Amino acid sequence: MRCREVVAAWDDMRCGQEPRREDVLAHLRACVDCQAAYAEFEGVAYCLSCLPTVPPPQSLVPRIMAHIKEQCEQVRVRRMIELATVEAPIGTLHVGYRDSGIVFLFIDRGEGVQAAAEHVKRRLHVSAKLASGPPPHWVREALDAFFATGRTAGAPIDLTDVTEFERSVFELTAQVPPGEVRSYGWLANRLGKSNAARAVGQALANNPIPLLIPCHRIIDCRGRLNRYAYGVELKRRLLEIEGYLQEETAAGLRSS
Amino acid sequence: MTALLETPPALKEFLVANVPRVEVPEGEIPGVEHFERIVEQYERRLFGFALRMTGNREDAEEIVQDAFVRAYRALAKMSPEQRAELKLQPWLYTITLNVTRNRLRSKKPTNVALDALADPDAIIHQNNARSETPDEVIQRSDEMAMVERALLNLPVHLRAAATLRFIEGRSHPEIAEILQQPIGTVKSHVHRAVRILRRVLGPQVGRLIHEGDAAHALP
Repeated sequence: MRCREVVAAWDDMRCGQEPRREDVLAHLRACVDCQAAYAEFEGVAYCLSCLPTVPPPQSLVPRIMAHIKEQCEQVRVRRMIELATVEAPIGTLHVGYRDSGIVFLFIDRGEGVQAAAEHVKRRLHVSAKLASGPPPHWVREALDAFFATGRTAGAPIDLTDVTEFERSVFELTAQVPPGEVRSYGWLANRLGKSNAARAVGQALANNPIPLLIPCHRIIDCRGRLNRYAYGVELKRRLLEIEGYLQEETAAGLRSS
Repeated sequence: MTALLETPPALKEFLVANVPRVEVPEGEIPGVEHFERIVEQYERRLFGFALRMTGNREDAEEIVQDAFVRAYRALAKMSPEQRAELKLQPWLYTITLNVTRNRLRSKKPTNVALDALADPDAIIHQNNARSETPDEVIQRSDEMAMVERALLNLPVHLRAAATLRFIEGRSHPEIAEILQQPIGTVKSHVHRAVRILRRVLGPQVGRLIHEGDAAHALP
């Protein structure tokens, strides 16, 4: 065995893991340099192992647990989401809300409310419980206002579960008036991150509150509708309803 | 994103599987109270580790607290499969180390106050098998303080490797998992730490090192 291999092996030997133990020992007995190095190594290891063990204060466990419980409580109060079903002109919607605002909106295409609950969990890492009745009046009013006027600015939404960047994208998107569109790049520019058009697209693809955060009003810079989480057909229909697209332009876009 | 703090149902099974000798009563709601067993089981180890890494009791307490809060959140967010694959002990060390690193980064690393780490009482308790004279105890505590200071002056990655290896007594594969480095890297860090410590300590703590020689003489 060479000195280098021996050096690499003796710390393993301490855990009884070195299969070539006898070779290592034979080398150590014969090689004066390695003997000295080994003694030094063991000496330092011994010094470190002699350091006194300092026990944590007895109050540490209760303190940790109190801290965790306190955080749990805060989070539970703040995070509890109720999921209610409402009928809307474009079909059935499942809307998740808490006292602070609407958190989540799911357009049902036949999947049912359970799929909506799973979607909340996946998207926002929050579980939702099904509401026993219809949603509170302010939820209903916000949705009615959207379907009547397309107005989204000022809607009672709660964006505490998304990242800071996503929040900035969503807040800006909510300012786009009905009947108008903006591009991903426009949003990125307005956020002072002119290179972030794709990141904006990524954020909008994960929009937890479609319609109220009107991500359907964001299209690409060449005027193509690009994509929509619920299918580009629905995006086109929404833009038609809002008057941005005429039926025939829509047909033209479809063929392009 | 704020992390989820609800306890998923599978946490109970996980805790039962990963916390030996702890019975979770049937029918009890899985939750924070079960996590307490994990905290009780690992707090000493993690505290000791954080203390050696920072040299400061208050810091170590806060690090351990922060680490457990993070662990709890992360556990709650994991899927049952992820939880089944998790190796609790190395994972907890990794979290503690990350919290420690963040803390050390935001703090000035020079001249850490040795918060009575080498207090003679602890040393007397540690070595009560061999009766020492008060002078010996004082000398010993001076030497210990020297070892502590030398360890704290190592770069963080070497300090972590040496602490885990020689104070916490973890094996190379386990350290590799904790530090998320290849085993070869771990070994070389341990060796580098030893070489530096030997150079720093050599002249002063000759006595201890010779005791060590005697204790680990070649078989």
